[in-house]
Amino acid sequence: MNLDFSMLVTIFIATALINNFVFSMFLGICPFLGVSRKIDMAFGMGCAVTFVLTLSGLVTWLIVHAVIVPLGGALGLELTFLKNTVFIFVIAAMVQLVEMYIRKFFPGLYVAFGVFLPLITTNCAILGACLLIDMRGYGLVEAAAFSFAAGLGFAIAITIMAGIREHLVYSDVPQALRGPGITLLTAAMLALAFMGFAGMIR
Amino acid sequence: MAEITAGQRFKAGFWADNPTLVQVLGMCPTLAVSNSLENALVMGMAVTFVLLGSNLITSLLRNLLRPHLRILIFTLTIAGFVTIADLFLQAHLPAASKKLGPFVPLIIVNCIIIARCEVCASRSSVRAALADAVGQGLGFTIALSILGVVREVLGSGTLLNRPVFDPQAFKPHAWVIMILPPGAFIMLGILIGAANQVRLRRARGGAA
Repeated sequence: MNLDFSMLVTIFIATALINNFVFSMFLGICPFLGVSRKIDMAFGMGCAVTFVLTLSGLVTWLIVHAVIVPLGGALGLELTFLKNTVFIFVIAAMVQLVEMYIRKFFPGLYVAFGVFLPLITTNCAILGACLLIDMRGYGLVEAAAFSFAAGLGFAIAITIMAGIREHLVYSDVPQALRGPGITLLTAAMLALAFMGFAGMIR
Repeated sequence: MAEITAGQRFKAGFWADNPTLVQVLGMCPTLAVSNSLENALVMGMAVTFVLLGSNLITSLLRNLLRPHLRILIFTLTIAGFVTIADLFLQAHLPAASKKLGPFVPLIIVNCIIIARCEVCASRSSVRAALADAVGQGLGFTIALSILGVVREVLGSGTLLNRPVFDPQAFKPHAWVIMILPPGAFIMLGILIGAANQVRLRRARGGAA
């Protein structure tokens, strides 16, 4: 396998910062708005998402290239329409597996993740990453770099947001904008700031 | 408690229980595809179709559902209808399908649909579930279209790809930010704030 190291670095930076999943791809907005009140919770969610995202990115890649495509070829059928259903099924199963594994071997971590693990199943960042890996035709190593960077970008975004919201509690926000309104406007400013990364890669 | 009628379910989706403005659900597609009215309408119709299908099936199955398996059943039902919508768009509206990219398959994890299956369809009659699906779907489409109109007119100076202003005169004044990601966050924040303001004023007027 010929690996282009600079290519991997490019994918990594482009995914984590320039095309940040939250601020420019709009993936994973629900937990980003819902679980960003406290820094420690946000950080826990970020770690859990990075973990599951990397695993499911790899597993769905393997399933597409080792099961769906060869099986379709062997049967002479076009099985790719099954991808969407298979992806969500794999993610739900992965979350369940990861939850059982962590509960058995890392009880401390399990308590720390709490309710976030089951919630991750419906996090569109995970399914979005799997779909994008498939659409862009990444190889296995690129898929690994992409999914880890995507999770990391999500973790960075949600932790920054929680830091700001912890201070926002003490400010006098107009009544109508309290809650989701001011959070979205804050996110807009962060998104503007993240656009500053756009020049990093030609 | 009297069962909520189909008519009430239908109406709730537009204002009182609007999925975007009140429940703040399904934010990812709302932000991502509201950069033009065309995208907003296609997305709104796709979500309404999936909602109708999955609410219908869930409502028919409601007496067979087991608590620990229900989310799995919901997800698989939704995935089936999303695949239909995805393939339909690819076949009949290939340009729109390309623009929406991964956001059509991502309807599977759109929380509006799972929430409606859980809150409404799994415990109401088929009539109420269908009325609920249409109401919520149209409520979502309307909120998405408002965002789409504002962002497309201010950002590209067009509406449904037809120029609204003289293109030459408009070009130097375009609010490019509106079709870029931050514009989505700003407009949605303002829209939710405005809806809350109207609600607050009505509540005050009602009390006085």
